[in-house]
Amino acid sequence: MILKNTLKEVRQKKGLTQEELGANVGVSRQTIISIERYRYKPTLELAMKIAQRLNIKIDKLFYFE
Amino acid sequence: MTLSKKEFSILIEIIYSIVFALIFLPYFYENQEKTLILMDGLIGKTIQIIICTVIYFSIAYSVLEVAFKKKEPRDERDDMINSKSYKLGYLLYEFSLFIFIGYVCSKFQNKELLNLTGNQELYNGFQLTDGGIVFFILVLLVFISIIKSLYQFYLYRTV
Repeated sequence: MILKNTLKEVRQKKGLTQEELGANVGVSRQTIISIERYRYKPTLELAMKIAQRLNIKIDKLFYFE
Repeated sequence: MTLSKKEFSILIEIIYSIVFALIFLPYFYENQEKTLILMDGLIGKTIQIIICTVIYFSIAYSVLEVAFKKKEPRDERDDMINSKSYKLGYLLYEFSLFIFIGYVCSKFQNKELLNLTGNQELYNGFQLTDGGIVFFILVLLVFISIIKSLYQFYLYRTV
């Protein structure tokens, strides 16, 4: 089972850049890039922050495949 | 290949380790047979190392700050990468010290054996000076520092 996410699509839908989202949740642009490429698995705290910022339920943002 | 500010700062550390090894380690290599008190110009060399280090890092980080004006926040990914790379460095250092202690013990044991056999020439040639120990520890530190930084760089590129 691989932890995947819909971060890129949701972020683009909300009209946010990687840098803006990173600044909003207190991480660098590289961290957002890594999450979008499934390279880095964020902590629950960061995942909750991102979901809150994008106004989406966390299970819609992160899912197992 | 575009590098981030953090990746550049790791490269600065790697370059420093290599330059240190090339410029300052030969001095300790040449004096490894001596004790620390008998080393020529040890205090001068130490002051030279400190001054060069301060100047190098001041210039390198100033250039980095000018080149990357935007501040990059330190986040959980950085912490994860740092903990992984420092763990590797710590394990390597511990393992190397373990081997070094074994080497020192075997050397002392061999020296005693040579003494028992009465081979005075070999006995006298079997020296382990504090200069040699300092040289070994410096080589170890430089080597581990390079490995740690390379691994850190690799993680920044792949994670």
